[in-house]
Amino acid sequence: MRRKGVSYAKYGYIFCLPFVIIFLIFSMYPTLYTAVIGFTDMKGVIPKPVHLLDNPFQNFRDLIFNNETFRKALLNTLLIWIINFIPQILLALLLTAWFTNNRLNIRGQGLFKVLLYMPNIITAGTIAVLFSALFAYPMGPVNSFFHLMGWSDAPIFFLQDKTTARGLVGFIQFWMWYGNTMIILIAGVMGINPVLFEAAIMDGATAVQTFFRVTLPSLKTILLYVLITSMIGGLQMFDIPQLFLQGGPDNATLTTSVFIYNQAFRGAYMYNRAAAASMIVFLIAVVLSLVLFYFMRDRDAAELKKMEKMMKKAAKAAPREV
Amino acid sequence: MKRIFVVSTIIVLLASLLSACSGGQSNNGASSGKKVTINLWSFTDEIPNMTTKYLATHPNANVEFKTTIIATTDGAYQPALDQALAAGGKDAPDIYAAEAAFILKYSQGDASDYAAKYADLGLSDKLVKDAGIAQYTVDIGSKDGKLKALGYQATGGAFIYSRSIAKDVFGTDDSATIKNEIGPGWDKFFAAAAKLKAKGYGIVSGDGDIWHAIENSSDKGWIDNDKLYIDPKREAFLDLSKKLKDNGYHNDTQDWTEAWFADMSGSGSQPVFGFFGPAWLINYVMKDQVKQTNGDWAVTEPPTGFFWGGTWLLANKNVTKDKAKKEAVADFIKWVTLDTSDTGLQYYWANGTMKDGEQGTKDSVASSVVMSKSNGEIELLGGQNMFDVFVPANANASGKNLTQYDETINKLYRDQVREYTAGNKSRDQAIADFKVQVKDQLEIDSQ
Amino acid sequence: MELSQNKKSFSINMVIIYILCILLALVSIVPFYIMFINATRSTPEIQSGLALLPSTHLLSNWNVLLDKSFNPFKGFLNSFIISGGTTLCAVYFSALTAYGLVAYNWKLRQPFFTFILCVMMIPAQASAIGFYKFMYQFGWTNNFLPLILPAIASPTVVFFMRQYLLATLSTEIVEASRIDGAGEFYSFNKIMMPIMMPAVATQAIFVFVASWNNLFTPLILLTQRDKYTLPIMVSLLRGDIYRTEFGSIYLGLSLTVLPLFVFYFLLSRYIIAGVALGGVKE
Repeated sequence: MRRKGVSYAKYGYIFCLPFVIIFLIFSMYPTLYTAVIGFTDMKGVIPKPVHLLDNPFQNFRDLIFNNETFRKALLNTLLIWIINFIPQILLALLLTAWFTNNRLNIRGQGLFKVLLYMPNIITAGTIAVLFSALFAYPMGPVNSFFHLMGWSDAPIFFLQDKTTARGLVGFIQFWMWYGNTMIILIAGVMGINPVLFEAAIMDGATAVQTFFRVTLPSLKTILLYVLITSMIGGLQMFDIPQLFLQGGPDNATLTTSVFIYNQAFRGAYMYNRAAAASMIVFLIAVVLSLVLFYFMRDRDAAELKKMEKMMKKAAKAAPREV
Repeated sequence: MKRIFVVSTIIVLLASLLSACSGGQSNNGASSGKKVTINLWSFTDEIPNMTTKYLATHPNANVEFKTTIIATTDGAYQPALDQALAAGGKDAPDIYAAEAAFILKYSQGDASDYAAKYADLGLSDKLVKDAGIAQYTVDIGSKDGKLKALGYQATGGAFIYSRSIAKDVFGTDDSATIKNEIGPGWDKFFAAAAKLKAKGYGIVSGDGDIWHAIENSSDKGWIDNDKLYIDPKREAFLDLSKKLKDNGYHNDTQDWTEAWFADMSGSGSQPVFGFFGPAWLINYVMKDQVKQTNGDWAVTEPPTGFFWGGTWLLANKNVTKDKAKKEAVADFIKWVTLDTSDTGLQYYWANGTMKDGEQGTKDSVASSVVMSKSNGEIELLGGQNMFDVFVPANANASGKNLTQYDETINKLYRDQVREYTAGNKSRDQAIADFKVQVKDQLEIDSQ
Repeated sequence: MELSQNKKSFSINMVIIYILCILLALVSIVPFYIMFINATRSTPEIQSGLALLPSTHLLSNWNVLLDKSFNPFKGFLNSFIISGGTTLCAVYFSALTAYGLVAYNWKLRQPFFTFILCVMMIPAQASAIGFYKFMYQFGWTNNFLPLILPAIASPTVVFFMRQYLLATLSTEIVEASRIDGAGEFYSFNKIMMPIMMPAVATQAIFVFVASWNNLFTPLILLTQRDKYTLPIMVSLLRGDIYRTEFGSIYLGLSLTVLPLFVFYFLLSRYIIAGVALGGVKE
């Protein structure tokens, strides 16, 4: 993008200034504060003089090597994120492919888009009340249904079963967020240069081919955005596991956020350990993001070249476009 | 169109922002008057409602109450209260309430330094003795013999049973006979359970029902010498719970779930004989649930003495620095916890006369003096005077097996017991996992 | 012949597509439907199972709500101020930042964008403990500002808007307004904001919903009763363990979601129309 306004450059700084100031105060400072707490002995309800630990990494070491529950929380977070994200992105991509395919021209797609996003509006509190009631044991709608269909002789304690509990939390997350992901992906597809699609049609590509060869590669940046925001969201998963199952049964839905919350605000008030755990989660987020960036960037260059080729082709095929 | 929408949104927003600000200012203006403002923190609207009665019966009291209510369900009450206590200043809580699950933290544990001694408020031990306050509530509210918290309720527990089932199985609904059928001790209780099962009844609704009786009848609490200690009586809960489940003695419900409530009206999978609970369970919970079984219930002494729940009142030690505030706070606390007259809170509370001209909910109170002159006959129990059972029940409860971590540890323990009874893991594994979780979450090692 | 077979498989595809979409739409609506229906039923009715038709207890549930010191109007106002303020801050300043990133050529532009990408990776919990401690020390409890102001720095919104501008903004418009002698702020407010409206509306929905449903930050920071938001009030309702009035809880939950419905449907035409995001890197 070429802009000649050298004299306008200062506006770039001015326009971005509010962001920077607020970020420094409300995000940067608390993050550093939290990081420092992780190296101290700050715990207990009553504020006491806080000291740096003799071994500054003691809290981190305890958490990683000496705390089964924390490791379990990391594993749970990963598991629940996978059961939520893979179906979520697949369904969102499928719906995107359908809704942006002019040949299909799905009727009522506006209504569908509006409705599919709706689960995102519902509060975690509502979900907790609704799902606890639905899966209630020994009597509840789902149990009655299973009984009616002859699938079970005795009532099933769904929420006592670890797999079911994790699956349900994963499902709720999936159900709440696929609409949101879909809307962003559709936006991404709408931003793709139409020339590319026209070229694909000219070449006689099928809808499936067009989707995998043209749409997906052009969606890279948006996909990266979806991946990163979803990953951060996954690492922060809190409301549903906490309100719906309080991290149970037997810690099966204890995510890292629930663990950190329990450390900091319940029982023993170990701010230091909670802070250290937060920093570990942060580091994981950074590493995973870097990995994502690396994979996306690496292929980007190649894709760009490919795209240039296609553009040239398109330009040749449709000279009236210019 | 677009613009009109955006502009009108902004105008509405600005207007509401302004009104919110100005509203705040006018509030401040009022409070800077002569009245003493008491910041009251609680987790239900029970105590805030008492302030209304207090102001009505004390027209000369020059106070106003600013109440904060935060529910305990989402675990937010304690964090918020702790932060507010630590922050101090004008908005700091002057009077705050604590529930049985976490009172120890505020009366004896980490946060006990924030609490004023009742003696420093001018509320002497003699007042406590004269009012005949249940000893367990005093024990819980005292640190090193210095009283810091008291309640208005006493929550000694009874066994609440169904009269019709009692007649069917034991031939009588007489409370003295039933007492000897189900206790004392768990062996007799399970013998009764077998008899009930033979006729197609469960003895309780779920294992949570016996847990409170077991928890508060143990000899020691969870922590001994800074280490996790599993009292044999509490460990036995694993086996008792398993026995209940394997023999189908209960409907396998969890307390506070819909299935549990359903058993109170007899609409569960098998009719259930009874519930363990204090007076509040009868009057606040069962009352709305019993439906056609109203009047078919009675209370008797449980196989083992226990208490369940309760609310304690504490004062911030900073209130003693300001004479006017100290007196206002002390007067309210005295009215709630120690006043045994007919115009004290506990008399209204015990007789269900909190609201004028309306028969409200009767409840067991901390002062035995008040209960002895109150009428505890209630319809749900077929006209039985519940105080006949609850006065001794309050005396039998022990306040010496609590720790400040009970809320967290109890949850972890009961989760593991449920894992064991559901057949998901062995008994040893459940105990081992419990120990690990306590260590990981609270940094408390096992012995 | 081949053509007709194609047609057949095409229409079978269409049937599958419609069935799936309708199923998904149903799964989206059902929870709301149960919630609204249950808001009109009594607690015993709710405990006896699900129902398709409303019952007659709406009024008694409403009375229970009011009796429980649940003040829906105050809660609505508080929630509206917080969520409205958050949304305005987030979309306006993010649009501003995004415009600064796209329209001007400044030295630190690329580093700043990379920086925003990094900021996106900070999980909220990494700063949560420090944030609460800081706010308590600062005395900013029972104040709406710490709930609103941080939205000015919303990296994900900036990213979204930047991609949108990359796809939509043409140099000509910027140049044209400069030739007309418009100041930079003027042209941003009067020319760019309208252009960005689809992206602003989409993000406004996301931000508003997230802020409206946020329970924990307000729960920790707002302790005075007259500052409570709707979700806090509903959580209080559930917290009254002695008497679980499911009917009034569902009514409270329904009341919480109604304003969101209005807001969402007002802006939903932007979701229907969609916005174009530039995907290709510069």
